[in-house]
Amino acid sequence: MEIVPWIIIIGVLSVLWIRGVHSVQRSATAPQQIPFLGGGTPDTHAWQRYHIRYYSMTLLFIAFEMEMMFMYPWAVVFVEEGGKAMMEMGMFLAILSIGIVYAWREGLFRWQ
Amino acid sequence: MMELIAVLLLLVFLSMGFAGAALADGMLPALIAGQARSSWRRPIAEAARLLTTQRIRTEAPDALLWFLAPTLYLALAIVGLAVIPFGPGLVTIPSEVGIVVWGSCEALTIVAVFMFGWSANAPLPLIGAYRYVAIALPAMLLSMFVLIGAALPAESLAFTEIVEAQRTVWNVVRQPAGLILFLMLGLAISLRGPFDYAGPEDLAGGTTADVSGPSLLAWKVARLAMLVSVSAVTATAFLGGYLGPLLPGFVWLALKTALVLIALVAAGNFFARMPPARMMGVIWTMLLPLSFLMLLAVGTELLLWG
Amino acid sequence: MAVSALSRWAREAPVPVFVAIGDGMRERVERLFCDPGIERAATPRHAAILLIAGRMRLEDREDLRRLHDQMPHPRATLLWDAKVGEALGDAEIFSGGTLESDKDAGEAVRDHLERLWQDLASGERPSEPDLLHDEPPNPWEGIGPHGQGGKGMMGGTPYGRPMAMTSDDLRDGLALDTYTARFGPFLPMFPPGLLLEMTLQGDVIQAAKVLRPPLSQKAEENAPAALSRLARLLDLLGLPALGQRTRLAVAGDRSSSTLEKLGRAIRWSGAMLAIPPGLGAVEGQGDLSARLNDLLAVAGGSSPATRPELPESAHLSSLLPGLEWSEAMLVLNSFDDKTLSMLAMVMDEPDEERDGHDHDGDHMRHDHGGHHDHGGSHHEHGRHQGEGGQGGHGDYGSHQGHDPHGSHGGHT
Repeated sequence: MEIVPWIIIIGVLSVLWIRGVHSVQRSATAPQQIPFLGGGTPDTHAWQRYHIRYYSMTLLFIAFEMEMMFMYPWAVVFVEEGGKAMMEMGMFLAILSIGIVYAWREGLFRWQ
Repeated sequence: MMELIAVLLLLVFLSMGFAGAALADGMLPALIAGQARSSWRRPIAEAARLLTTQRIRTEAPDALLWFLAPTLYLALAIVGLAVIPFGPGLVTIPSEVGIVVWGSCEALTIVAVFMFGWSANAPLPLIGAYRYVAIALPAMLLSMFVLIGAALPAESLAFTEIVEAQRTVWNVVRQPAGLILFLMLGLAISLRGPFDYAGPEDLAGGTTADVSGPSLLAWKVARLAMLVSVSAVTATAFLGGYLGPLLPGFVWLALKTALVLIALVAAGNFFARMPPARMMGVIWTMLLPLSFLMLLAVGTELLLWG
Repeated sequence: MAVSALSRWAREAPVPVFVAIGDGMRERVERLFCDPGIERAATPRHAAILLIAGRMRLEDREDLRRLHDQMPHPRATLLWDAKVGEALGDAEIFSGGTLESDKDAGEAVRDHLERLWQDLASGERPSEPDLLHDEPPNPWEGIGPHGQGGKGMMGGTPYGRPMAMTSDDLRDGLALDTYTARFGPFLPMFPPGLLLEMTLQGDVIQAAKVLRPPLSQKAEENAPAALSRLARLLDLLGLPALGQRTRLAVAGDRSSSTLEKLGRAIRWSGAMLAIPPGLGAVEGQGDLSARLNDLLAVAGGSSPATRPELPESAHLSSLLPGLEWSEAMLVLNSFDDKTLSMLAMVMDEPDEERDGHDHDGDHMRHDHGGHHDHGGSHHEHGRHQGEGGQGGHGDYGSHQGHDPHGSHGGHT
């Protein structure tokens, strides 16, 4: 386990190396910095209160993400517990699936 | 001692896999297009070109995140690879919860890609970044369900146990559709073909549209490393990892990984990409229920014959 | 030493070219990029050479200069039969007029590009300096430490540009920020020369206005032209390898067996399934999948279908709003050159119509709901209709009777 930070550091260093080993670097001038729009120009900065049309999907996602947390220990004891574990998780997934059906009916996946 | 050997093997595996990925990525599209086969020197030449090109910054970018994104992406690929056993007991990080470690690598990949697209403060990368999140979030759920399906027979979340549990039968036999769903995740986190919502042609390269020179190279390197990593995880979770007759385990894993990698590169060139909203609907309403069914099938099979 | 080894390797790389296509040059440019030694860069950021092919309009010159400056160093420019005066500084000039055939000219241009790249990579040729002045687009002004002053939270020009402001959305009426910019004229996924002023919210187009029409290409609608169009659509569908295969077929072997194999590969790719039904429907022209089907039929050996004339009212400014970016790009690339030039005519609008609040049936953002008459895919159903009318745009829905495209595809 203790190797992980080292790997990350090696990753960082190798990218640093990639970014550092060249002699052509100069700082970008103002016309170089204009965002690419095929020659056209923007009115404003691109950062904005972006209209994320799938925001309602992310709520559904959180429900499944929590479910995942229960699933990890469940997978370990599944064979031991047998049918009981199966039933429990089946019920859990069925309830969540109703969530998907409801979300679908409400048009969550339509990017409104 | 074993860990030291595993680290060395990890480095060998990563560099070999990386070279193979770069070659496959250069040659397969040319083959499919019916063009002359490109030379093995071409990826190196392109890397050299990017290294000798100026790095451009955009107007008021988030320079720190822009720099960190490829680094994070590469680090995640390497950490993901580190939980894979190269032979019995030969694993860099002998984690009891290998699947959870890999799952967090998947999840953080979304963060890395989003950071990369967001920090340029430019419209096309920004759209690519937000779009990718919409597809990658549900795609990650898919992969975790099928991985749980792979963990059930092993009664463990460690990749070492998952491989050992496949001595009787490989997981691909238990859940064939699971393999396909996992390959889809592979396409999504290595940003390719039908799941490349971050850098598609309709956004002129999306997250990379305003990136030049060494930064672009760093991103491409990280992408290929992630491709190697996800191929190795697929081979381990579904194709029996290092198991195989005669040859040493490391060689078997490398062969299986190469097979998955080529399949991924080919699939990335053979299948069309849907508009993102449509894809999101397909994942939630068709693929996710399919992954539930696969889990159910594996569970039933274990209870009846396990 | 490391540097000279790097530049030796770099010289072997395929020549990265960003191309601005002018009058009638698209076909020749596409043939040029069939060569594996030349790579078409998606943006100038990935390129080292700017290729300006064909005649440009006077007003395009400023945009070309901007594109030039967006390239990283080392960089160079090649003018191929381009008459842009001194706008690009002292760029390399190639004139194909003296050569006998198109093919010779193509090869000569390729050689020229390769030589340019060799000289650039080895450092023999100095990188071109900026053409525009090195000053921020807007002077830093406003009150406060970040220049953010002005009215309330907004206003001022922090870091050279104003921040985005809110406006109501077409689809759900939520008031989030809009992004207005001029897209084109040389965006790789746009028809060459087309300059659109678009307002986006998220990635949905709220308003589109044609500022400059596409530069005319050889508008003859024959099999090669149809196949090139197919190739462009394949690129957008994430199938660049098949797109390249199509282009190679256009340039060389157009035998029926090659095309048949190609058609099979395209069908297997699921390209038809990937396209939402009813997308981009125009009266008389069918929807996007119908148009793609026509193109596939051409690949299958039949001659290009002739579609009836466009209704007068059809225009990009009513076709694009309401579409997501990726859908809009597919729609934009699905028309033949003649149809597109009609769809993309510059319209003189009185000032009060500029902001999209016009009440004229021709220009209004029409309701797409009527096209979704298919039963199977619920999540597509009515995606562009409904809540879009909320919050100030309520009167758009009532214009459905005037909707020029409403009659197509049938109402549900």
